Amino acid sequence: MITVTINGKEIKLEKAVTVLEAARSAGIKIPTLCYHEQLERYGGCRLCLVEVEKMPRLQTACTLMAADGMIVRTETEAIADVRRGILEFLLINHPLDCPYCDKAGECELQDLVEKYGPTTSRFKEKKRKVTENLQDPVIVRNMERCVMCTRCVRMCEGVQGAAAIGVINRGGHSHIEPFSGNKYDCEYCGNCVSVCPVGAIMSRLHRHSYRPWQVKEKVETVCPYCGVGCTVVAQVRDDVIKRVIPRIGSPVNNGMLCSRGRFGYEFVGHPDRLTAPLIRKNGVLEETTWEEAIGFVAKRLTEIKGKHGGNAVAGIASPRCTNEDNYIFQKFLRVTLGTNNIDSTARMGYAGAQAFIENIFGQGATGNIISGLANSDTVLVVGGDPTTVNPILGLQIRACSRKGGTILTIGHVRGLQHFSPVELDPGAMLETTLLECLVLSLLDRKGLPGSNPALEAKIKAVHADNAEFLKNSCITKEGLADFVDKLGSSGTPAVVIGKDLLQTAGSGYRLFLVCAINYIVNGRVYLLSDHANEQGLLDMGCAPDLLPGYRPLSYAEFRKRYETAWKTPLPEKPGLNIFEMIGAAENGTLKALYVMGENPVFNLPDAATVTASLKKLELLVVQDIFLTETGRLADVVLPALSWAEKDGTFTNMERRIQRVRKAVNREGMADWQIITEVARNMSGKAHYTGAVAVFEEIARVSPLHRDLSYDEIEQGNVIYPYKGEPLRGSAEDIAVQKPAAAAEGTISLAIDRLLFHSGTLSRKSPALIKIYPEAVARIHPETAVSLSLAEGDVIRISSQSGKIELPVVLDRHAGRSSVLVPNIFEGTGALRLAGMGLDPVLKAPAINGTPVTIERIGKVTP
Amino acid sequence: MNTMPEKQMLSAAALKEIQDIRKNYPTARAALLPALYVAQREFGWLSPEAYEAVSDHLGVPKAIARGVGTFYAMYKHKPLGRHVVQLCTNVSCMILGAERLVDLLKNKYGLEPGGTTADNRFSLVIMECIGACGTAPAMLVNDDFHENLTDKNIIEILERYT
Amino acid sequence: MENVLLKNIENPNSADIKEYMAVGGYVSLAKAFEKSPKEIIDEVKKAGLRGRGGAGFPVAMKWTFASGDPKTPKYLLCNADEGEPGTFKDRPILEKNPHVLIEGMAISGYALGAEYGFIYLRGEYPAAKHILDKAIAQAYEKGFLGENIAGNGVRFHLAVHQGAGAYICGEETALIESLEGDKGQPRIKPPFPVNVGVFSKPTVVNNVETLSNLPYLISIGGEAYAKIGSPDCPGPKIYCVSGHVERPGVYELPMGTNLRDIIYTHCGGIKGGRKLKAVIPGGISTPVLPPDKIDCAMDFVNMPKHGSMLGSGAVIVMDESVCLVKVCYRALKFFEHESCGKCTPCREGTGWLRSILGRIEQGTGAEGDIDLLLSVAANMIGKTFCPLGDGAASVVQNFIKHFRPEFEEHIRAQACVVQGQK
Ligand SMILES: Cc1cc2nc3c(=O)[nH]c(=O)nc-3n(C[C@H](O)[C@H](O)[C@H](O)COP(=O)(O)O)c2cc1C
Ligand code: SF4
Ligand code: FES
Repeated sequence: MITVTINGKEIKLEKAVTVLEAARSAGIKIPTLCYHEQLERYGGCRLCLVEVEKMPRLQTACTLMAADGMIVRTETEAIADVRRGILEFLLINHPLDCPYCDKAGECELQDLVEKYGPTTSRFKEKKRKVTENLQDPVIVRNMERCVMCTRCVRMCEGVQGAAAIGVINRGGHSHIEPFSGNKYDCEYCGNCVSVCPVGAIMSRLHRHSYRPWQVKEKVETVCPYCGVGCTVVAQVRDDVIKRVIPRIGSPVNNGMLCSRGRFGYEFVGHPDRLTAPLIRKNGVLEETTWEEAIGFVAKRLTEIKGKHGGNAVAGIASPRCTNEDNYIFQKFLRVTLGTNNIDSTARMGYAGAQAFIENIFGQGATGNIISGLANSDTVLVVGGDPTTVNPILGLQIRACSRKGGTILTIGHVRGLQHFSPVELDPGAMLETTLLECLVLSLLDRKGLPGSNPALEAKIKAVHADNAEFLKNSCITKEGLADFVDKLGSSGTPAVVIGKDLLQTAGSGYRLFLVCAINYIVNGRVYLLSDHANEQGLLDMGCAPDLLPGYRPLSYAEFRKRYETAWKTPLPEKPGLNIFEMIGAAENGTLKALYVMGENPVFNLPDAATVTASLKKLELLVVQDIFLTETGRLADVVLPALSWAEKDGTFTNMERRIQRVRKAVNREGMADWQIITEVARNMSGKAHYTGAVAVFEEIARVSPLHRDLSYDEIEQGNVIYPYKGEPLRGSAEDIAVQKPAAAAEGTISLAIDRLLFHSGTLSRKSPALIKIYPEAVARIHPETAVSLSLAEGDVIRISSQSGKIELPVVLDRHAGRSSVLVPNIFEGTGALRLAGMGLDPVLKAPAINGTPVTIERIGKVTP
Repeated sequence: MNTMPEKQMLSAAALKEIQDIRKNYPTARAALLPALYVAQREFGWLSPEAYEAVSDHLGVPKAIARGVGTFYAMYKHKPLGRHVVQLCTNVSCMILGAERLVDLLKNKYGLEPGGTTADNRFSLVIMECIGACGTAPAMLVNDDFHENLTDKNIIEILERYT
Repeated sequence: MENVLLKNIENPNSADIKEYMAVGGYVSLAKAFEKSPKEIIDEVKKAGLRGRGGAGFPVAMKWTFASGDPKTPKYLLCNADEGEPGTFKDRPILEKNPHVLIEGMAISGYALGAEYGFIYLRGEYPAAKHILDKAIAQAYEKGFLGENIAGNGVRFHLAVHQGAGAYICGEETALIESLEGDKGQPRIKPPFPVNVGVFSKPTVVNNVETLSNLPYLISIGGEAYAKIGSPDCPGPKIYCVSGHVERPGVYELPMGTNLRDIIYTHCGGIKGGRKLKAVIPGGISTPVLPPDKIDCAMDFVNMPKHGSMLGSGAVIVMDESVCLVKVCYRALKFFEHESCGKCTPCREGTGWLRSILGRIEQGTGAEGDIDLLLSVAANMIGKTFCPLGDGAASVVQNFIKHFRPEFEEHIRAQACVVQGQK
C-alpha cells in the first residue's frame, strides 16, 4: 500500500500508478494534453507539471510514478504561471479560430486557456499557415490547430496498429501527416479523431452542422455491424445521429472503433429508406397502408397453412435484428404457423461450424472473451483476415504481438503483416495438406491428451506425406518445424477461425483438422462473425433444429418445456434449412417465405437459382429497411425500424448480451412488432407492451437466459453462460469426411472481405461509399501477367452460375490462383458466381474455390 | 504484354547489404537507419518510393519509416547535385568567416543554401557543427573533410569535383 | 604528461592494429582478464573515473547498476555522437586511435557482463566509419572481439551504428531510441537505461573518451590513475580549443587544467594579439564567460562554482571582433534546428528566442525585447523534457547576463554595433 499526499489530501493506492492517476482517483484534476488513458505515457506537453517535495525540478504528473510518502501540490501560483507559459507557447502558432472551429465547446486547449490564460499574445512574428485539408472523404485536417501532443500518432501506431500517420520532420517543423502527405489511405478507424484534443483532426461527416453543446441525446448502444458488438454512443440532435463515438472503458472495445462503426451510421437517415408498406398489384409494388399490408399477409398465410399445412411456410431470420425480433419471429413460425422451417444466413458457415466445434469441445466453446486474445502467448489465425471481418478483435491480435506474443497464420493475412506474423502460405490448393501435416507434427511433439476418445479416433486416422508436401509447396522444412515448435510450445494458445475456412470446398474436413490442432495444443477457439447478432439469432432458436436457449429440438424434454410455455404442441421434426428452403420453393413444396431483415438473393450463392425459386412461391414477404434485391421480388414489403430506432439486445460472438437502445424516433414498427401484428391478425393472440416484455418472456422460457433482465444487462458483463445451464457432454461421434482433391490449374473465386463494408447497411452509408465506392476484382500482379491483364482493365468473370463485370486492381496480397471479389455492391456480388454445393458436414456452401473464367472486355473509362 | 507500373526497386546488391545489416540487430526496426542510408546511396535521395522499398523489405510501416527518416538531417528528401557541399556555419566556423564563404559560393556558382546549381554539379547544405572547429572553417564534400578553408582554397578544392 | 588517449597519433598508420600493438596495445585487455569483472569495477571506482560526455557521472556507479541487473543480454553503447558545437575531441580517437576505444570497450564489456556493443557514430563522420569498421574487423581477426575473446571464454561483439544528423541523439535515451530505429527523442526516466535500455535490456552508455581511458587505467591501476589532475575528478582530459587562438586544436592535459593556461599557454594566446572578448568553456550549451572570469580549473566539480560547466571541454575563444548578439543568435538557430520537438517549451521556445534574437541582430529589435527574451527563457528553464531545452534558454540568459549592454546597443542603434565582423 502506497500513501501519497496531493494538495493536502492523503491518497491510498493499491498498486503503483502515476501521480496523475492517483490524483484523478481522488477527484483532483491536473490539466493535461498529451496524456490519454488509452495511450502510453509521453510527457511532452508539460502541462501537468506539479511540485513534489524534495524534488528540485517540477515534475510531470503523467509520467512520475507515485511513491510512498510523496507530497505533491498541483495548483499553486507558481504552477499556474508555468501553465500559462506553456499555453502561450502552444498558442504562438495557433490560428485562434474558435468561432469557426467545430471543436469549440469540447476543445481541451480552449478549456485550458480559459482557465490559465494567457489573454494576449507577445508573439510578433508571422504564424505558421497550413490550409485545411479536405482530401479525405471522412476526415478533415486543420493542422495549424495541432498542438503536437502526438496522441493521434500514438493511437494510430501504438493501439490501432495501422501506422498510417507519423510525425514528419523534427522540432518546430514537425507536423503530422499520412504517408502520402495528402490522403490518409488507411483503415479509417477514426480513432485519431477520438483522441485529438483540439480541432486538428475531425470527422467530416458532421462538419459545421452542429455545436457539441447542442447535442440533445447521448445514447449508449451497440454497433450494428459485426459480431464484436462494440459499445458506441450515438450523439443525437433533432432526431438525427450527428456522430457515433466509442465509449472508453467498455469491456468490448474500450474506446476503439473501426470505420464501419464510426462512420457507417448514415444509412439510418438515408432517403432510400422504406417508408410505407408495399404490395404487389398487377405485377408492380405499390405503396399501401399498414392495415392492408398486414391484413393481406395474415390472410394469405392463413390460407396457405390451411391448404398445405404449416410446413409449406418458412421464415428467414436476421443476424442484423435484435434478439427480441428473432425470438418473436421463430415463435411466430413455430407457434402460429406450426413449422420448424426457420433458418438464417448463419447457415453460411457460422452455425455449422459452431455446432461442430461444440460437439467436440462442449457448448459455449466459442464464447471466449475477445480482449483475452491480447494476453495469449500465441494466436493461430486460419481462414482469413480477422482485422477486416472483426476489426476490434483484430486489434487484440495486434496487441498480442506487441506484448511479445507470437502470431501464426495459415495463409497470408494482410492486416497482420506488420506484426511479425509467422506465416505458412502454401496456396489454396495445398492448405488442407498443410493442416494435416501440422496435426501430425504436433502429434509427434505433444502426443494425444487422452480426454476425447471420439476425436482421438479420428485424429489417429489422419495421414499425410510430409516430404511430398514439402516437395510440392513453397514451404521449407525449417519453416514448418519452426511453426510447429512455436505452436507446440505455447502455454495459452488461441485459435481464430475465419469464414474463408468455412466457405471453401472441404470446409468440414479442414475445420476438423483445425479442431484437432486446437485439441492437441489445448487452445481456445474464436469463431469470427460478420454480423452483429449472428450468435443471438441462434440463441433465440432461429434454426430448424434449435429452440431458444440454443436447445436442440431433438430432445423431447426441451420441446415439452416450450410446449408448456407457449401452450402449443410443437412439430418434432427439424425444419428446412435455408438451402433446403430454396430447393423446396423450386420444387413447389414450399409455398410461402417470410424474410425478415435478410436478402437471400444477394447473400446466398447462385442468385439466378435463388431468384427463379423465389419467383415460384405463392407468397414472398420481405420485411426490411431498404428495398433489397429480394424485396423487389416480394409480394409484400414491410418497412421496419432500423437498429437506431428500436430497443432490444444483441449477443456478440463472445456471447455477451448487450443493450441496443433507441437513439432516434421514427414512425413505424420494429421487426418484432410487425410480426406480432401479423400473428395477432392470424390468431388474435400475442401481445407485448415493449421490447422489455419480449425479453422478460425470453428470460422466463429460455433456460440459457433464465432470470436475466435489462437492468442486469445494462450493468455490463452479462457473459455466457449467464446464469443458465450450459449443456455439457462430449461427442460420441464426430463427422469427418475427407474431400476429394480439387481440380488444379484453374482460376478460382475468393471472397474479398472488405474492412469498409458489410453489405446492406454499409452500401447505404455515404461515408463508407466514399471511402470504398465500388467493387473491384483483385488479382495478383503475376496472375495478371499470365492472363494478360493490367490494372484498369474491365473483365468479365464467369462461372457455371453467373457472370459479373468488374475493373481489375493489381494486389500483391491476393492469392496467385484466385480472383478476389467482394459481395457488397449491387449487381456485382461475388456470391452469384458460386454454386449451391454444400459441405457434407458443415452444410455450408463452398464459395471460395469456385472455378471461374476471366475475359478482358475493355478498359475503365477515366 | 502488360507489366506492373515502373517502380523504384532496390538492387539485388542493396537488398543483400540490408539483409547483412539486419543480422547485426535483434529487431528489424533497428536496421532502419542503416537501410535508409543504403537506399539513399542507391537512389540519391529518399523519395516516397525509396521509403516504400525499405519499408517492404524490413516490414516497418512506411509512414513510420518516413517519420523516422525525416527526423534526421542527413537524409535528403529531394534530389541533390553530383557533389554535396556541406559547409559548417556554427559558431567556431562562423567567427572565422564561414558566412563569407557562403556568399562566395553564391557569387561564384550561384549556389544557394539548400539549393543545387543549374548544371547539377553542386548542392549546398548548411551544416551544424561537423567536429572540425579546431581547423575552422570547414566543410564536407560528399564524404571528404576539407578544413582551414579560405576564400582561395575553397574554390581550388571545389574545382577538383567535376 | 605524455599522451595517453592520443598516443601515437602522429604516426600516419596509427589506426592499424599492428601499430597499436607495437606501442603496448591490447596488453591491458589481457591484464583485465586476470581480474574478475567486479575487481575491474572496483579499480574504476578507485580511479574516480567520471564520464567525459558532459555530465561527469561516476562511471563505476553506472556500471554497478547495470551489472547488478539480472536481465540478459546486456549492451554497452559507445556514445560517439559528438554533436555539441565546438567539440572535436572524440574525432581524433575515432580516426587515429580506434583501437584504444575498442580495447576499452572490450574491457568494459567484460566488466559489465555485456555481450554486445555498438558504437553510435554521428553521421557526419563518414571517414571514421570506415576506419572503425576496419579496426573492428582487425580486432575480430586477432581474437580481441568475438565469441571467445583471447581464449578466455568471454563473448563481446561490436558494431558501428551510424547516426544520421541529430544532436539530440547524443542524449543517451535518445541515442537508444535512434539505435532501435526510431526518432531520436528522449525517453521517460525512470526506468534508466542501466535497467531498461536498448531492446529493453540493461544498457550502459559511455562517451568515446571515457571508454578510451580504460586501457590506461587498467595498466597503471586505479590508485595511480586517481593521482592524475584534479583530485575530485582525476585522469587525462582532452580539451579542444577553437576560435581566435594562435594554435587551436586538441590538447590532452590533466583534468583540472586552468582555462587561462589552456588559452594563453597551450594555445599561444589570442590570435594576432587581439583582445579577448568572451569564452565558451565547454561547448555551446555551457554558459559563456567574460574575460575576467576565466581563471578556473577546468573540471566537472570546479566549473559550476565559476558560473559555467566543463561540458565536453570544448573551448570557444572569441576576440573583440565578434558580435555576441550574432553568436547568441547563431547558437539559438542551432538549438531550434536540433530541438527534437517532443516537448512544448523547447519546440516552440527555441524558435521564438531565435526570431527575437534575429530581429535584434538585424537592427529591428524593439524596446522590451531583452525582457521578452528573458521571460521566454524563464518559461523554458526547468520545464523541458531534457537538458537540450534548458541549455538553449540558459545560453540566452548567460549572454544577456554578461553582455547586456551589447544587446541594448543593437536595439538603440537599430544595427550591429560591433566592428570587424565578416
Ligand atoms: C542534449 C544532449 C546532448 C548530448 N550529447 C552528447 C554527445 O554528443 N556525446 C556524449 O558522449 N554525450 C552526450 N551527452 C551526454 C549523454 O547523455 C550521456 O550522459 C553520456 O553519453 C554518458 O557517457 P559518460 O558517462 O561517459 O559521459 C548529451 C546529453 C544531452 C542532454
Ligand atoms: S527539451 Fe524537449 S523538445 Fe527539446 S530536445 Fe529535449 S525533449 Fe526534445
Ligand atoms: S500530460 Fe503530462 S506532459 Fe502532457
